[in-house]
Amino acid sequence: MRKILLLIVFACTFFTFSMATETIELWFHSGRGAERDVIQDQVKRFNEMQDLVEIKAVQLPEGSYNDQVQAAALANKLPDILDLDGPNMTNYAWGEFIIPLDKYIPEDMKTDFLPSILKQGTYSGSIYALGTFDSGLAIWGNREYLDKIGARIPTSVEDAWTMEEFMDILSKLKNVEGVVYPLDLKLNYGVGEWYTYGFSPIFQAFGADLINREDYMSADGILNSPEAVAAGKWFADLFKMGYVNPNPAGDADFIEGKSALSWVGHWAYNQYKEAFNDNLVLIPMPKLGNPDGIYKGQATGTGSWCWGITSGCANPYGAWLFLEFILRPEEIVKMTDANGAVPARLSATKLSDPYGPNGDLSLFVAQLQTIGVERPVTPAYPIITSEFMKALDDIVNGVDVKEALDYAVEQIDLDIEDNEGYPM
Amino acid sequence: MLLNRKHRAALLFILPGIIMLTIFIIFPFFMSFGLSFTNQRLISKLPTKFIGFENYERLFGDKVFIQSLLNNFLFAVIVVPIQTSLALGMAMLVNKKIKGVKIFRTVYFMPTVTTMAVVAVIWSFLYNPEGLINNFFHTISFGNWTTVDFLNDPLWAFPSIMLLSIWQGAGFQMLIFLAGLQEIPYSLYEAATIDGAGSWKKFTNITLPQLKNTTSFVLISTTILALRLFDQVQIMTNGGPRNATMTVILHLYNSGFQKQKVGYASAMTVVFFLIVLGISIFQRMILKEEREA
Repeated sequence: MRKILLLIVFACTFFTFSMATETIELWFHSGRGAERDVIQDQVKRFNEMQDLVEIKAVQLPEGSYNDQVQAAALANKLPDILDLDGPNMTNYAWGEFIIPLDKYIPEDMKTDFLPSILKQGTYSGSIYALGTFDSGLAIWGNREYLDKIGARIPTSVEDAWTMEEFMDILSKLKNVEGVVYPLDLKLNYGVGEWYTYGFSPIFQAFGADLINREDYMSADGILNSPEAVAAGKWFADLFKMGYVNPNPAGDADFIEGKSALSWVGHWAYNQYKEAFNDNLVLIPMPKLGNPDGIYKGQATGTGSWCWGITSGCANPYGAWLFLEFILRPEEIVKMTDANGAVPARLSATKLSDPYGPNGDLSLFVAQLQTIGVERPVTPAYPIITSEFMKALDDIVNGVDVKEALDYAVEQIDLDIEDNEGYPM
Repeated sequence: MLLNRKHRAALLFILPGIIMLTIFIIFPFFMSFGLSFTNQRLISKLPTKFIGFENYERLFGDKVFIQSLLNNFLFAVIVVPIQTSLALGMAMLVNKKIKGVKIFRTVYFMPTVTTMAVVAVIWSFLYNPEGLINNFFHTISFGNWTTVDFLNDPLWAFPSIMLLSIWQGAGFQMLIFLAGLQEIPYSLYEAATIDGAGSWKKFTNITLPQLKNTTSFVLISTTILALRLFDQVQIMTNGGPRNATMTVILHLYNSGFQKQKVGYASAMTVVFFLIVLGISIFQRMILKEEREA
């Protein structure tokens, strides 16, 4: 008995000594396999290379990640470092759950970031979150099918397909042997953030938006404007005309050749490249709308997951050390090579093969610099996205477009009113 | 003295249960009751404010809430009788003294021990336009079957969820009925056979009356489970299409976690609790349990 007691005392003493390195807890969403592996490897290498802090990484499933983080915030159980989906950052910053990072970021590092990364991470003049990568949204094409119908393959943002061309190509592709649904919109992802990220650019290209960005106080006359209704009708027609599968059985419609075009983000790159190699083409977002509209008729999504430090973190400097590590250009490239995303820093872009000047994916960088529209930077974002995706789902399922959008506007405006306009 | 010691032991035994119930059920309920009168948001820097009955007023004008209540009732009204009769039928089948009956018991019980999340994902594949069910009907009708997108069709989505729920839940009810059936003294059946009763007579005059307590338990618990419908719809349809499969718990979860309206979601829990309580009391009054003295 005494021996065991002694052992316990000894173990405790040892434990206390080894606690000299501070533990920093980190939560991240378990994204695609390759992405997950890179983060775990980075945590491992960071822990080995220094002994000031010890990162303890916890991964949570992506589908309910934000719900879990919000619940933890309410219960004051947040970890030290958080992985956040870009547009959700504002809500946490407004609620004072994450802290500004400005004092840690050196000036030369700041100017090295893509403008879209800084835009997404900035709320009321301070940077609250930084991502290691940005996203790219465009259309992947199967060259074999496109050649069969003699489609023109655009190579730059400026010579993107016009609305007439796009519809003509879809109708021709519909008749190509092997093609079941010409366009793959990845509805298999389910009604979630993908809807807002992937399809709000349609509304913006048509000249509408999710909310009035002048003061973020109302969506009325913006999300239910005639332009928005036109965008919604066009979207619904894609399904009615049989161009898009409303319920794909899995993720592989494009790879299996059932679809000729795949409207999806950068993350499909590695998988598609492996399947098609030189038969894969990246096509810029088409010019869907009025060139005189707010977004000049063409738009793409921006923003991605990013990192923030919570206000409850006892050692924010220690936490920053880890962020500084994963934000190094060579570490950024490790991540973007794994997931195909756009490197967040210009110096990292130079180290990356696909994002080099003639790389496969340089179009994403060009798009981000010209037609990228960030999702609204406002604490009201959770309600905006939740109502928008619901409205789109209703539209796909045959609800009157105007009715669905009016309902979304009503709910968004009510929420902003309930929160007294989200004062800073 | 003896009685006192007995009491003490009883108290000791119910203590863990009481503590758990208090922490996880009673305390949270009173908290939601309190929160339902406030504007509490999940994440906010605005102070929590008392807003009286505003959440409740809004609730009764919320067309999604009304729709989800109706859906819950529809689900209970259709699923409870079917599931209960099916479970009783299965229990009587596996109560027969045939060789290998244990295998059947296990097979019937298997859906119940499988996690609902797993069941829901697998059934989504089955219900897919290119899935097994459509292909099956296509084959047996020699190609005359028009493909149905079960989960995306407002007409089919809810019945599809119901079918899966019945399949998944009936095994558990079967087990309870089986226990009830084995309690029935065999002598009753023997006496009935001597009196010349057929199997239908035996069923209506011996089996059913003897199973009264079991049936009332099964009915009440199935009703409560039906009203709590969440997992399947969250995974398979997320309440869609057009709110055809929206349920109160799903709407509550979405309001609280996605839209961050904790106060509003709390008001919903209070109203829903009162409704479920009312239904349970009503059922208990009708299906009064018989206790042996």
